[in-house]
Amino acid sequence: MSILHTESLTKVYGTADQPIYALNGMNLAVEQGEFLAIMGPSGSGKSTALYLMGGLEKPTSGKVWLRNSDMSVLNDDDLSKLRRQSLGFVFQFFNLIPVLSARENVAIPLILDGVPRPEALKRADESLSRVGLQDRGSHRPSELSGGQQQRAALARALVTKPDVVLADEPTGNLDSRSSDEVVQMLREAVDKWGQTIVLVTHDPRVAAHANRIVFLKDGKIVDENHLKGEGKAEQIREQLSKVALS
Amino acid sequence: MTAKTNDRGAAMWQMTLMGLRYLNGRRLRTVLTTLAIVFGVALIFTTNLALPSVVNTFKQSMTAMTGADITITRTSGESFTPDSVLPLISGVENVQAVTGLLRRQFNIPTLGDNAFGNSGQLELIGIDTTSAQNVRQFPMSEGRFLEEGETGAAIFPAGIADFAPQLTLDTRFPLITAGGLKLYTVVGFLAEQGSLSAPQIYVTLSDAQAAFNQEGLINTVEVSIDANADRSAVIAAIQQVLGSGYQMNAESNAAAAVGSIQIGLAIFNMLGALALFLGAFLIFNTFRTVVIERRHDLGMLRAVGATRRQITMMLVIESLIQGVVGTVIGLILGYLLAVGGFAAMGTIYKDYLNVTLPPIQVNLTALLLASGSGILTALLAGYLPARSAGKISPLEALRPSTVASVERAARWSLIVGIILAVLGVLLLLTGSKGAAAGAILFLVGMVVAAPGLVIPTARLFSPLLTLWFAREGDLARGNLVRQPSRAAITGSTLMIGLAVLVMAAALVTAFTALVEDLANVNFSSDILLTPQSVAIYNNVIGADETLANRLRALPEVETVGTLRYASSSAANGQALQVLGIDPNEYPQVASFDFTEGQAETAFAELGSGRNAILTSLAMSTLGLSVGDELVLDTAEGPQTYRVIAAANDILTFKVNAVFISQANLAADFHKAEDVLLMINLAPGADETAALANVQTIVNDYPQFTAQLTGEYRDTLVKTSAGAMYLFYVIAFLILIPAALGLLNTLTINILERTREIGVVRAVGGSRKQVRRMITAEALLLGIFGSAMGVLAGVAMSYGFIAAMGSIGWTVPYTFPLMGIIAAIVIGVMLALFTSILPARNATRLDIIRALQYE
Ligand SMILES: Nc1ncnc2c1ncn2[C@@H]1O[C@H](COP(=O)(O)OP(=O)(O)OP(=O)(O)O)[C@@H](O)[C@H]1O
Ligand SMILES: [Mg+2]
Repeated sequence: MSILHTESLTKVYGTADQPIYALNGMNLAVEQGEFLAIMGPSGSGKSTALYLMGGLEKPTSGKVWLRNSDMSVLNDDDLSKLRRQSLGFVFQFFNLIPVLSARENVAIPLILDGVPRPEALKRADESLSRVGLQDRGSHRPSELSGGQQQRAALARALVTKPDVVLADEPTGNLDSRSSDEVVQMLREAVDKWGQTIVLVTHDPRVAAHANRIVFLKDGKIVDENHLKGEGKAEQIREQLSKVALS
Repeated sequence: MTAKTNDRGAAMWQMTLMGLRYLNGRRLRTVLTTLAIVFGVALIFTTNLALPSVVNTFKQSMTAMTGADITITRTSGESFTPDSVLPLISGVENVQAVTGLLRRQFNIPTLGDNAFGNSGQLELIGIDTTSAQNVRQFPMSEGRFLEEGETGAAIFPAGIADFAPQLTLDTRFPLITAGGLKLYTVVGFLAEQGSLSAPQIYVTLSDAQAAFNQEGLINTVEVSIDANADRSAVIAAIQQVLGSGYQMNAESNAAAAVGSIQIGLAIFNMLGALALFLGAFLIFNTFRTVVIERRHDLGMLRAVGATRRQITMMLVIESLIQGVVGTVIGLILGYLLAVGGFAAMGTIYKDYLNVTLPPIQVNLTALLLASGSGILTALLAGYLPARSAGKISPLEALRPSTVASVERAARWSLIVGIILAVLGVLLLLTGSKGAAAGAILFLVGMVVAAPGLVIPTARLFSPLLTLWFAREGDLARGNLVRQPSRAAITGSTLMIGLAVLVMAAALVTAFTALVEDLANVNFSSDILLTPQSVAIYNNVIGADETLANRLRALPEVETVGTLRYASSSAANGQALQVLGIDPNEYPQVASFDFTEGQAETAFAELGSGRNAILTSLAMSTLGLSVGDELVLDTAEGPQTYRVIAAANDILTFKVNAVFISQANLAADFHKAEDVLLMINLAPGADETAALANVQTIVNDYPQFTAQLTGEYRDTLVKTSAGAMYLFYVIAFLILIPAALGLLNTLTINILERTREIGVVRAVGGSRKQVRRMITAEALLLGIFGSAMGVLAGVAMSYGFIAAMGSIGWTVPYTFPLMGIIAAIVIGVMLALFTSILPARNATRLDIIRALQYE
């Protein structure tokens, strides 16, 4: 039984006479405890897919099901509630609110949901220590390195123990060492706590940590990789350029 | 359930914390925005602290203080014959005893050795010694009580020691009366403290009647009632038998004085409201920027599950914080202003109006009004941007900056604004009543059209700018055009400030001309005897006929015309000054400026029957025209007068006054005191010698000052011109928030472009070039605001002068050329001045930091 699945998910931008199909009938099922990577050339609709699955944007047609409930029937307030209770996000940029400390940033989804502040901060600290930032809780984002910022964002995504964490190129801005750290954390969340993760990335070395990779092109899934065997990253790179050229 | 309430609390608290941190992160901007609220609140608070105190002082100085159960006066405050009233009251059930008094508070001149300390006022209370003691107790602390029918004896409440410690038993002191100076002897002191605002003197009723030249009259009735009687029932019963011309336990209304102060209150409140309105502009502007600036943060909050409401709430809380802080500071500042103002104004009031101002007391109304409007302004101004913040899509967090297209909105606002402005001009041209509305409509139209006017104005002036600032000018224009609505709001703020300035200039010019005109027309006499306060006669003790007759006996004197006074009200309750003139003599010494009716026949008609000439202000407030009937409340009950003309003279053109003959004033109001005397000299008489002779007689009546009319006119024109400068003060006050607005916009523009300025500097732009760019931008804003301000100012001044014409103050419209020049100069100077600080900040930016600025 998949925890999240989409049903001919379609998103059209632009005008009626010049439609841009950002996503074109995508069918995807994400299993409980799965670490899924989405790859594809620039403009293939990866981010769009993630936004639709996260309820950040409404599909033109098609549906997203989270734990068997249809997200398309929810109104804005219900979607907000869903995002803060059942989903976690990590983006490439602007993840943290600059005027809040790392601890407060992590606590936001809890506080917005009405958890009393002391408890929320306690849970934030726990989440921060999971990503190795236990002694950075009182720092402002500007006082953290890029990698630390992304780990803090991950701590926030994990703090509510969401059904699914959606990450859009979380390592896109990082050097390879920081990038490795972040991916390690993601992997750990999957292995230790059975966290389900959907990750968009360009980086084959990052994607190599996933359980499965789907390849998007022109808004459609065109290939899949279940990642068995050695030399994963090389194999992914080849597959990606094949998709891009096809 | 508790979890739910907890919810809200935690989230709210988090929002508040975030708000505070954001505000702290942009300290300069926070301060500038908050200042706008501070200013408006301070203005409203200080106005509502100070002016009601002044009103109260006036009222208090007229209030009868008494130990009796019930005090009855005429609604107009005027006198009446006891025979018609006392028996009626005595007949009411549960009334124990009744006594009639004649009491009046009046200004006293400084006599040789001033017997009453610093107090410029005195209350003389005439009591009927026998019946007064039936109504209440007069326990004595020293000496004896007054005796029936005695003259020249006075007793004081114990509190007199505070005013005049030198008064002891058997001291003799002089007092002004309608019959000239009179000596009294202190025969006793009452145990009671008495009024604290002005010394009180008790004399016999007959002495008081002589002093006020009101033989046989009283103006107050004091009543004692049975111990177990229901007081309100007795009051109702008395009211029943006396009818509506009388009132119980009322503060007598110093109608004229209080009325004009209340107009002042309204004007200053409007000013405060205008300042807050500009403040609202500022906050609105700032918050709109804040929303753009923070869209990443806001989008991120939405992405991690904040609802629209929560986002809106956060920004509302933020503006509320500014509103509350601004209000608190504004209240403190307002209080200090009021205290300082009283300290400064105290002497003026003392000298000109004979009123001692009380210490400032904080009253709840002022507190609520000021803080309410401050906080509400912040809330309202913050709400719209906060709502649009709530609508930010979570995806905003992930997108690089988006530039919204404002062109379309600007075009629409231009069209709507121009339609409004054109309608305003049409209304203005139809003149009279709708003119003021037309002026306001025009102003609103300009404000609405402003965003659409920014680009054309910038384009229009760009050749000039390029000439002056070369390439930096182009950059500056680009900056304004990029954010036309912000430039528009700033321009509008400046516009309103400058428009008020232009209007003030036009009004001052017009009024000064009007006063000079009236002064020349009206004072055709040679010598003038004025009481201590001209135009407010309630507190004046005039003179009986002997003064005028003694003057007439002088060989140099040809005619003496006098003015007498009573207060009254029309059937609708409108308070009126009734002025008694002699239809034969008065036209010789003074002349009216007739606006309706015939000058030739008006005076003859005034002498026959109950006919009246009204000031044009009174005509329009009462809605009357020539031939109508006017029912006046008099000491003899309601009397019907016929309106025969409308006319103004310099002393009455701004009051609701009714001129009737002195014969009618005596018959209907029992008033025969001259409060103003005008003398015409015989042909060939020497002015100086005549004045000396007049002065000798006036020495016996120290309540009057004798002056050559020419001198008096000059001082009058000068003082009223001085009073007109109040308009300028108002205009300059309004310019303060306008300056704040400019400073705010320029600062925000620079904050927003920090990175851009960094790039300009990194690629080799010099500090000087950056400064020139900002100066050029300020200049463009200044020109824009001034241009709009001048247009709006001309419309507003025209509208208000036309509107004044419609209520009878016909003032010729003078094109306020000087005001316009001043407005342009001030607008541009203000813009340049406010650009100094932001320009300095921008040039001092550290290049590396600026490039990293997010
Ligand atoms: N708001 C929008 N308006 C119009 N077109 C959009 C919008 N967002 C995305 N698109 C278009 O939809 C398509 C898919 O965009 P999307 O951002 O999902 O691609 P992506 O796979 O995430 O690309 P990248 O790897 O560059 O991030 C692109 O062609 C893009 O131009
Ligand atoms: Mg993308």
